[in-house]
Amino acid sequence: MEKILLMGNPNTGKSVVFNRLTGARVTVSNYPGTTVDFTKGWMKLEGKTVELIDVPGAFSLEPKDKAEEVAVKMLEEEKEAVVICLIDSSKAERGLYLTLEIIERGYPVVVALNMADVADSKNIMIDAEKLEQILGVPVVCTVAVSGEGIKELASRIKEATPVKIEKISKNASG
Amino acid sequence: MKKVSEMEFDEVGIVRKIEGNLRAQIAGMGIREGKKLRMATKQPIKGPVVVEVDKSFTSLGLRLADKIFVEVEK
Repeated sequence: MEKILLMGNPNTGKSVVFNRLTGARVTVSNYPGTTVDFTKGWMKLEGKTVELIDVPGAFSLEPKDKAEEVAVKMLEEEKEAVVICLIDSSKAERGLYLTLEIIERGYPVVVALNMADVADSKNIMIDAEKLEQILGVPVVCTVAVSGEGIKELASRIKEATPVKIEKISKNASG
Repeated sequence: MKKVSEMEFDEVGIVRKIEGNLRAQIAGMGIREGKKLRMATKQPIKGPVVVEVDKSFTSLGLRLADKIFVEVEK
């Protein structure tokens, strides 16, 4: 069965997206580190049932604590998985760091710029189209708590493809 | 240059040097050379320091804050 991993920095809304996509009720709270273990769920994607895994938050793929260890292990065990990278739009740089690390390992990725509403209130604007051009993977703006962009996110999972990191650095500089 | 752990409250500095193999560890938190930091909170009794980077807050253990050097803005 096809597997999808939900990854991102701590407190970026992975579990909320997980609940949105699977209809499950995973504990969600407003502080980082709520998910230290992983949760599995299932969702229908164009008629097929796919497994969705809610991975604990991590800042990078060099683990520094238990939750990050779990995250890295999960990623390494699921070589065939598609990864949804959640980025807190108001703290985009950290999220992009992790996203690039995941892309570098050869995983097909979809980027969700979550908490678009929070970024907006901080006057942070992100050019999702431009980011999509640079990264070469789908980039979707979402507000998971209200459900905004979740449908688009789900519909673009199939567009996820592995991208060579050299290509991204070329796109970014040119 | 001084250590992040030595910064005063509200002081702003640019990261110039990160000691040892720490770079990979903190890059994921948005701190790298050339970044502007603002000291937001210093907890007493060897507690963590909170710095503002790119409009968001990151707390650093004292061990980390001792190894990051900034050039303070006048």
